[in-house]
Amino acid sequence: MNTVVITGASSGIGLETALLLTQKGYNVLGIGRSEINCNRAKEWILSKNPDANITFYLADLMQQGEITRAADEINEYLNEKCNGKLYALINNAGCVRSWYMTTNEGYEQQFALNHLAGFLLTYKLMPALLKAGGRVIMTGSQSHKGIKINWDNIMLQKRYNPLTAYKQSKLCNMLFAKGLNDRFAIHGIRAYVVDPGLVKTDIGNKETGALVNFIWSLRKRHGVPPSVPAETYAFLCDKKNAPEGLYYCLCKEKKYSRQVTSENADRLFKLSERLCGVHYGEVLKI
Amino acid sequence: MTVLITGAAGGLGRALANECGRRRYNLFLTDINAEGLSCIKQGLERQFDITVATAACDLTNKESVDKLLDIIDKHEIRFDMLLNAAGMDFEGEFIRRDREQLVKIVLLNNAATLRITHAILKRRRPGRQFTIVFVSSLASIVPMPLKATYAASKRFLLDFAAALRQELRKDDVNVLTLCPGGMVTTKDTMLGIKAQGLLGEATTNPLESVSRITIDRALAGKSIYVPGILNRILSFLARIIPRTWAAAAVYRRWNTAQSKWLSISS
Ligand SMILES: NC(=O)c1ccc[n+]([C@@H]2O[C@H](COP(=O)([O-])OP(=O)(O)OC[C@H]3O[C@@H](n4cnc5c(N)ncnc54)[C@H](OP(=O)(O)O)[C@@H]3O)[C@@H](O)[C@H]2O)c1
Repeated sequence: MNTVVITGASSGIGLETALLLTQKGYNVLGIGRSEINCNRAKEWILSKNPDANITFYLADLMQQGEITRAADEINEYLNEKCNGKLYALINNAGCVRSWYMTTNEGYEQQFALNHLAGFLLTYKLMPALLKAGGRVIMTGSQSHKGIKINWDNIMLQKRYNPLTAYKQSKLCNMLFAKGLNDRFAIHGIRAYVVDPGLVKTDIGNKETGALVNFIWSLRKRHGVPPSVPAETYAFLCDKKNAPEGLYYCLCKEKKYSRQVTSENADRLFKLSERLCGVHYGEVLKI
Repeated sequence: MTVLITGAAGGLGRALANECGRRRYNLFLTDINAEGLSCIKQGLERQFDITVATAACDLTNKESVDKLLDIIDKHEIRFDMLLNAAGMDFEGEFIRRDREQLVKIVLLNNAATLRITHAILKRRRPGRQFTIVFVSSLASIVPMPLKATYAASKRFLLDFAAALRQELRKDDVNVLTLCPGGMVTTKDTMLGIKAQGLLGEATTNPLESVSRITIDRALAGKSIYVPGILNRILSFLARIIPRTWAAAAVYRRWNTAQSKWLSISS
């Protein structure tokens, strides 16, 4: 049985994807930040699919120390139960903020969770992914378009705009996937970004101010249920031969921003390595 | 430029540290939370390629501060700026709160701030301008029922800073008092602001720009900085209406906001 890790599996898109993948016979390891939400998610999945193989790990992915701890726990599990192999990693946990807020490291929260958390977790799980010739899938968004990375001010400390921070973090997802393919495709790894479309979840109602709350509550009414984008993740996991594209929506390849170049991807890769204190090159040495 | 920041592991202190990092200042950070300090140190060094020194310290404890000063003296560190961001808040009706927690507000916000300010003034870099920032609050402008101790402790800082500024003028020292409204520093403050609805959001000051402007104004020798138009209007009104009226108005507003907040956070 193939094992898949999904971050942010306690609600929304991650939760539906976790359910669908258990139904397709995957062993799913979910990561969430709240014990209550994780327990509720697990119960819900088991109520829909009593045979589900589902385990939850608790970690606040906004904190680098917790990412490392959770990754160690997962690696231990993989070594014991799965011959050290991880078939897929879905970096899905994400957030929206109304204000400039920082993590313990002083990093802007949307950038830290939506991009850096996935970057560091992927690094930590890379040995297991390499063993399985695995796939890495990011939850991106159409909103990665129409924006450039603000290289001199990537945390948007000067002139913070919450929407810009969100869009930029989603462009980072694209660049990270591109950077992974540039480096690891020859080692059997493929990276993708899924555009879930507009989805009816509570993302804009969590830890946001009255204004964002209100706007999101109106907007999400037009959204599709999270079971719709879940199909695209299952599609990317199920295909025997890894699909060649980068950006997928509704199980089909989609056009992406012209900002997604190898040059920008390299630049973000280096910056992210510095901000996480890791070097991907070292994974290949062991 | 070498800067000492207290309360640097969270909230406004961490935002000020980020702002100083962006300006490539040398930093000495202190906080009671040692783990948080090592996180922000790492983050700043990775982001800005600067060196950051840290030492955990309980500013309300004399021995702990003496140890901090020993470290500073051993390395012969001398400062150009002190940002007093350490402080605490503890809301609710005076008589229903824990006695020692209430006393702690004054011990930290006032006594400890005096202690560290005195010590660091003595360790300013000779022959250079020195700059001090005190973090008061919009809560300092009127007596505040249900935040009585906190608001009075912030008033202390406001008055103390204004007086100290005059004493130190001849010694080329800038003294600025920052009086922010709400700032979203933690999940809890965020929920608090959410409970106050749109007015809460309107008096909320963006952390990153408050940090930047505070340092700009302090270096320019300004005496007080109240961020946000609405907050400036409120602070003006507070000066012209009788203090008893202001207190009564505040009581009514906080009473409803707090019961809402308690229902959200429980
Ligand atoms: N909804 C949309 O229309 C839409 C559109 C485009 C892209 N996306 C992307 O889709 C992804 C998932 O969003 P969603 O709409 O499904 O929102 P959601 O329902 O709020 O799900 C977010 C998930 O991330 C978890 N999470 C949040 N902060 C975390 C932290 N610090 N550490 C660990 N986990 C954390 C949440 O945990 P809790 O359950 O405890 O909250 C939840 O499981 C995000 O990356 C988002 O940017 C969404």
